[in-house]
Amino acid sequence: MTQIPDPFKEAKEKGPVLAAEFDGETIPMILKLKDVRAAAKDWETYSSDAPRRVPIPAEENVRTVRQYPLEVDPPEHTAYRKLVEPFFQRPKQPDVKAKIEALIGRLLSDALNRESIDIIHDFAIPLQSHALTYLLNVDEKEAELWISWGIHVFKDGDGESKGPFMEQYSERMFREAEANPGDDFFSVLNAAEVDGRKLTMQEKLGYANIAFAGGRDTIIHTATRIIHYFAQNPKALHCVREHPQMVNTAAEEFFRMFIPLTHLGRVCPHATDVHGHRVEAGGRVSLCWSSANRDPDVFEEPNEVKLDRKPNPHISFGFGVHNCLGAHHARAIMRGLITQLGERVSHIEIQESRELVENEAAYDRMVGYELLTARFTGLPSA
Amino acid sequence: MPNITFVTADGKRQTVEATAENVMEVAQEHGIPGIDGDCGGVCSCSTCHVKVDEPWVGRLPPAEDLESDTLSFADDVCHCSRLSCQIPVTEELDGLVVHVPPPA
Repeated sequence: MTQIPDPFKEAKEKGPVLAAEFDGETIPMILKLKDVRAAAKDWETYSSDAPRRVPIPAEENVRTVRQYPLEVDPPEHTAYRKLVEPFFQRPKQPDVKAKIEALIGRLLSDALNRESIDIIHDFAIPLQSHALTYLLNVDEKEAELWISWGIHVFKDGDGESKGPFMEQYSERMFREAEANPGDDFFSVLNAAEVDGRKLTMQEKLGYANIAFAGGRDTIIHTATRIIHYFAQNPKALHCVREHPQMVNTAAEEFFRMFIPLTHLGRVCPHATDVHGHRVEAGGRVSLCWSSANRDPDVFEEPNEVKLDRKPNPHISFGFGVHNCLGAHHARAIMRGLITQLGERVSHIEIQESRELVENEAAYDRMVGYELLTARFTGLPSA
Repeated sequence: MPNITFVTADGKRQTVEATAENVMEVAQEHGIPGIDGDCGGVCSCSTCHVKVDEPWVGRLPPAEDLESDTLSFADDVCHCSRLSCQIPVTEELDGLVVHVPPPA
């Protein structure tokens, strides 16, 4: 059985927290599942009211806006979140789900017709970008521009952040929607009110910022790693083909194992003892989702992929009031992908691959691929 | 096969024969509204929250810590609350009544 290494294994054996340095700031990383869940629930001690400082490293140099509703605490958070929840529920609608499935079908047909496909640029990025147009209910042609933003809006390719460009683009979309309102994400936010007033442009840009950046590299890396896993584990592909009802548990297991987002931060408004580590007022802690998902006290054989794992209380979509709004979207995409790979693909041969590794002072963690080319072979009936 | 009765938020009662592995799957097989089961029944979300009819509270296997923890983020939780994906279907469940909370 393939073991997928956990970079936090040794640290977890030593204690519940790893004190790690990021850009000169020492941040205790909370490593165990129950501790991370408890911290995620306790927003008064571990606050998200920290514009551009919830991500670690901080994003103060790559965006100007506070992300809504992520970087707001209750009670204000509740109203902000409610405004956009209907959009993020859309992938549960049969018509939206059907569009996502048709998109996967088209991309797979293309892959099956080639001798070699660049999984990241010709499969995963188009998949993420087109699917996002369904989520935001905007014209699908917008996806072509989004595709050019690469894997990660803030740090892709040549290292140049697309953040400022994305903010300008979003502002233009809000202005255009003002002139021609519809039932798309931009028009709905233009019309939305919080506390009896219209949203400011900064607030609207904050919603758009996370809608574009939050579900981007996460979807791209998860899809890519699922394809790579099936290439390396043909029995698993056979298994989902023979047992299509396993798709839900398989998807959850891939979410647990392949979570691209190592962690997110919180700020302590007051001096806080974090499992023996003192954090001064205004200092940060890390909720390390990826470590918690491999907690041996909760998950049997935590570094093995078990497609039928149940229960599987992973926290790949966070936990508590800030749980990921895009979870329905991610589930619809990955379930569709797993199902169709099982139905249509006999095997996948990896041609070239280069891992994308997050190198930090305290750990190196593989989060996805920066290069992955493969050849798909179809089933006779596909 | 045991029979389970679902009482939906609008007060409708629907009694069904439970052939699935757990109460959430039974609800989904029969299209009971309000039991979404987004994570597919792996105890990773709380969208299959139900309230067990009072007389049944002590007759079910108790919730494990992780279930209680996951459940704590559902709306309108009480001592009768359970994640229906964590209630395995057994013959002893014949006659079980669960209430589906109203949407948030």
